[in-house]
Amino acid sequence: MKTLIKIKPKEYKVGEVVKIDFMAMHPMETGMRKNKDTGEIIPAQYINEVNFMFNDQLITKMVIWESLSVNPLFSISFKVPGEGTLKVIAKDNKGQSVETTQQITPKG
Amino acid sequence: MERRSFLKSFGAVAAVCSVGLPQIASADEAKKVVGPNEMSYDNAVAAITGGKPVTPSAKVVVSAPEIAENGAVVPVKVTVESPMTSKDYVKAIHVLASKNSNVRCANIYLTPANGEAYFGTRVKLGGTQDVVAIVEMSDGTFLSAKQNVKVTIGGCG
Repeated sequence: MKTLIKIKPKEYKVGEVVKIDFMAMHPMETGMRKNKDTGEIIPAQYINEVNFMFNDQLITKMVIWESLSVNPLFSISFKVPGEGTLKVIAKDNKGQSVETTQQITPKG
Repeated sequence: MERRSFLKSFGAVAAVCSVGLPQIASADEAKKVVGPNEMSYDNAVAAITGGKPVTPSAKVVVSAPEIAENGAVVPVKVTVESPMTSKDYVKAIHVLASKNSNVRCANIYLTPANGEAYFGTRVKLGGTQDVVAIVEMSDGTFLSAKQNVKVTIGGCG
């Protein structure tokens, strides 16, 4: 599972509220689609949990269902308390898990 | 004159056919397909609130396009007016699609560290329906808002 974290805006100060965009490359299969060649139902595979941590403290916990689009986007706000490490852990219903980190370095 | 009136009536019939047929087809599909996590809207709301009342509120804003050409990727943003302090903050934002097989899309559990109550994502919509946000405040009350999205091509096929 490929992932990407984007902080908007790119430059921010302590105390400022920024947007964190987390994207994951994931098929998000609903379990309702059929394979067009064989007619078999493609089993459901979707991200069901995303946790945003800052310096190992939980900021936002998400429980996700299959209704989100392919390669889903998760966007939240975050008030920058200072320097530290942002960690996003995403899991899917088949047990796949991925951890992505991003350094938070406020200017000024 | 005869030729003209014939063409007119033919055109009207063709228009009815082209509008009518796809709707019938999509309604049939919606009946057939049932996902593994099927849940109705009323059950999902009851599971979230535990039977507590939900008040529609202008503090909650759901922004989604009124018309989505492609139901597979519909951008949805939910913002809630809140100071996000440790005493008064938004505990959770629940995003529901009222007519999907599984109406639940995402449950977002926020903390005061978020600074603002905001969640953005992209959802799949199987047809024209409401995107609903049910918001749980830190004092235990529930607020809601919704936005109707007209979908021209469903996103679950």
